Amino acid sequence: MPTPPQTIQLSWTDPTTQEPREPLLTLPVTFGRFLDQMPAIIQGQPVSRMVLLHPRVSRYHALIEWVNGRPVLTDQNTSNGTFVNGARQQRCELAVGDRIQLGEVIIQVQQIPNAQSSPSSTSSAPTSYSAETIYPGVSPASAPPPLNEPRPTPQALSARSTPQPSFPPATFWESQVVSIQALTQSGYFTPGQDEVSYAALGAGLGSYIWIDYLRIGGVKPYQIIALGTQDKPYAKYKQLCLNSQIPLHERLRSNSDSCPDNIWGWPSYAIRESWRAFQKGDVPTSIGLMWQVFAEPTFAETYTPRADNVFDSIDREARRIGWPDIYRYGSIRCVRKTDDGRYAIAYSKGSGEYGYVVAKYVHLATGYPGIRFLKHLQDYRDRHQDAKSVVNAYERHDHVYEHLIQHGGKVVVQGRGIVASRILQRLDEVRRTSRQNVEVIHLMRSPKRFNEGNRYGQAQRLVKNNWEFQPFNWPKACWGGDLRDVLENASPEERKKLLKDWGGTTTADRKDWQELVTRGLEQKWYRLLFGCVQSVCSKICNLQVGYGEVGAAGIQQFTQEANFIVDATGLSAAVTENPLLKDLIERYQLPLIDKKSLQVSNEFEMTALTSADTLSRQAPGRMYAAGVTTLGGPYAAVDSFLGLQYSALRSVQHLAEINAEGLKPLSVTRSFSQWLRWVNNQTP
Amino acid sequence: MTPTLLGRLQTRLLLFLTVGVVLTFPFAIAIDGPFFSILFWIMILGFFWDCLYTFIQKFRWDRDWPAAYQVIAGIWEAFFLLSIIVSFGLYGSDFGDFSVFWFTVHYSTVWLGIFIASQVLMRLLFPRWRFRGGRWF
Repeated sequence: MPTPPQTIQLSWTDPTTQEPREPLLTLPVTFGRFLDQMPAIIQGQPVSRMVLLHPRVSRYHALIEWVNGRPVLTDQNTSNGTFVNGARQQRCELAVGDRIQLGEVIIQVQQIPNAQSSPSSTSSAPTSYSAETIYPGVSPASAPPPLNEPRPTPQALSARSTPQPSFPPATFWESQVVSIQALTQSGYFTPGQDEVSYAALGAGLGSYIWIDYLRIGGVKPYQIIALGTQDKPYAKYKQLCLNSQIPLHERLRSNSDSCPDNIWGWPSYAIRESWRAFQKGDVPTSIGLMWQVFAEPTFAETYTPRADNVFDSIDREARRIGWPDIYRYGSIRCVRKTDDGRYAIAYSKGSGEYGYVVAKYVHLATGYPGIRFLKHLQDYRDRHQDAKSVVNAYERHDHVYEHLIQHGGKVVVQGRGIVASRILQRLDEVRRTSRQNVEVIHLMRSPKRFNEGNRYGQAQRLVKNNWEFQPFNWPKACWGGDLRDVLENASPEERKKLLKDWGGTTTADRKDWQELVTRGLEQKWYRLLFGCVQSVCSKICNLQVGYGEVGAAGIQQFTQEANFIVDATGLSAAVTENPLLKDLIERYQLPLIDKKSLQVSNEFEMTALTSADTLSRQAPGRMYAAGVTTLGGPYAAVDSFLGLQYSALRSVQHLAEINAEGLKPLSVTRSFSQWLRWVNNQTP
Repeated sequence: MTPTLLGRLQTRLLLFLTVGVVLTFPFAIAIDGPFFSILFWIMILGFFWDCLYTFIQKFRWDRDWPAAYQVIAGIWEAFFLLSIIVSFGLYGSDFGDFSVFWFTVHYSTVWLGIFIASQVLMRLLFPRWRFRGGRWF
C-alpha cells in the first residue's frame, strides 16, 4: 500500500508567461527567483522548487514544509517579506483558501489532501471515499506524480485516518465512464444548475466564436456554459499581442473580412474603418482604405485591422450574444464520458471550491499548449535561471526595451517571421525616441535567395532581402479557395507534405519594415548575420553568444557579445504539454497527428470521444476541437480568426444535422434575418 | 473570397439569372435593343473566361483573385464581346439598331450590380459561400 504523500495544491499566475498554474506539489516546496539558489534537498527529501521570475521575489523567498501534520510556511528573511491573507508573516501554518503574497505574485492554497484537520481549515468537502482509492490518482493533470516516497511519519499515518479527497476523486480520474448518480451524490453537482446542452472549454476566442454560431443558430444562453479563467474572450490573445510588441493602435496580421464579431464578414473591418473616417470628415483616409482593400495585394499593401478595433468589436458581439451569462470562471481539471451519453467536466472554482458541469456537446479550444524555446536558449535559461537576458518574443519582456531606453545596448534577434519584424520595429522606435545607442544583430539560420521561396504547383513565394513574404500565415486560398479543398481531400501523408509546402516562416510585405532594414544597414546599427547560436554564456553583464555559420569552408565559429537575446522563432508546442489534453489523450487513447496535434474529422469532431448513452439509448454526446491543437488535420489556417469561424461553422452545422437541442440550420432566411439583428445590435 | 472554378461557375450562373435578369428588364422595356441576348452571351462566354481565370490563379502564390482583377476582367470581357458583336454579330440576335452607348450603360449596370451582390449579398445569404470558393450548393 503506498504511503500518502504530503502534498499541497497551490494556484498562481506565472509572472513571466501569465499562464495560470495549479500544480499539486509534494512538500517541501520552495519559492524563489533562481532555481540554483534554492535547496534541492531538505532533510533527505527532494524539494519542489518553484521559480517565480519577478523582481520583488527574492532569490530564495519562502519554504513550505510539513510540521505536525500541517503545512507551514517560512519566509527566508527576505527584504520584501511574505504575506499571508494580507499580514506579513515570518512563519505560519497554512490552510485551504489562504492567500500567500510574494512580491506581487499571489498564491492561493487550493487544497491540502492529507493534512490533519485544523480549526482554520475552510475545506468542507463531503467525503465518501477511502484513503486507498484516493492516493494513487492524486491530480495527475496538474503535476507530475511525486518522485519520492516519503518516510511513514506518524503525521502521515494519522493523516490517513482523516482523509480529505483531492478533486476530482481518484474514482473519477480512473474511470472511462462516470455515473451521473455518483456525481449527484458527490455534492459537487446540482442537476439542472450544472447541466447544459453545450459546454465550451477554454472560454477564449475559439470558444466565443463557436458560441456565436450556436447563438445565431437559435441556442439560448442558459443552454451554454463557457468555462475558463479569463472573462474577456480575447484576454489571452491580447496578452500575446502586447508581449510580441503589437500595441493596441497597431495592426494585426489578419484580413479585412476575418471578423470574429461577425460570421458573415460584412461589413468588413476596412469598410467600418473607412466609414468612421468618413463620418469624422477625413475623406482622403476613407477613400484610401477602400482603395487598399480593392487593390490589395497587387496594387496596394494588404489591409489589416487595428488591434483595438478588433477587441472593441468582440466586446460588442460578446454583449449581444449574452457572453457574461454564458461565461463561468473555472480552471478545468478533467473531462470524462458519463453513462448517459454526455460529458462531465471537473473544474476548480478557485478558493478551494470545486464543481462538475455536465454537457451533451463539448467544444475544446484551449489555445496554444505552451511557448517553445530554441534549445540552446532553453539550456541557458535552465542553467543560469536567467529569464531576463534571454526571452521569447511571446512572453512579457518590456524590461528589455526599458533597459535599452535607459542605457542603450545590443540585442540579438532570432527568427525571420512576422514577430521578428515587430520586434525590429519596436527596437527601431526605442533607438529613435531614446537617442541611445541600440545595436541589433539579426541572426538568421541561412541566407535565402530570391529563387529559394517555397514552391507549390506553378507558383513560388516571394523572397526579398532574405525574408519570405506572404500577406497572412498561410496562402490565402487555404481559408476558402482551392487549397482548402485540396487539403480536406488529402490523405494524412499528403496533408503533411502540403502543409510543409504552404507553411514556413513568412512576414508581411510592409514598406515601413523594409525601409527600416535598409536604413539600419546604412546607419550600421542593424546587422544581418547567418548562423545558428551554439552556445550562450553569461559574462559580467553581457551574454557571450557563440554561433556557427555554414559556409564554403565548413562551419565557422564566431562570437558576439550582447545584452539580450530575443527568440522570435515560434509559439508551437505539442498538445501533450497541456495537462487537460494529456489526460484525455491517455485515458481514451486518442489518435494524434505526429504526436503533436489532436486528430479531428472534417467536421472537427474528435470521433474517439463520442459518448454512448448506456442507460436509455438516446443520441450520443459529441466532442469537437478547434484551434492550433488541430493543426495537421483537414484545415490549415486553424489558428486564425477566419479559421476559427470555419471550424465553428463546420462543427455547428454538424450539430444541426444531428438535431442538437435548440439548434436550427443556418438557412438563407435565418442567415439574413440574423445579420439584420447583428446590424441593429439585437440579441440573436 | 478566393474563388475556385466550380465556385466561379455557380456564382456566375446564380447572379446572372437573378441580379442580371432583374437589372436587364428596365433596359429591355424602355430601350429597343437585344439586351437579354447580350446578357445571355456575357454569361456563356463568362464560363470560358472563368476557366482561364482559374488557370491564371494557379500562378499566383496565394491563388487568390483580388477585387482589382475582377474589374480588369470585367472590362476585358466587355471589350471582347463588343468586338465580336461589331465584327460578326451574335447568333440568334438582330443587331440592326445596336448602340455602343447603350451596350456600355447596360453592361456597366449589370456588372456593377453583380459585383456588389457578389461582395455583399452572397455573404449575407450564404454564410458558407466564402469558405467554399464561391459554391452556393
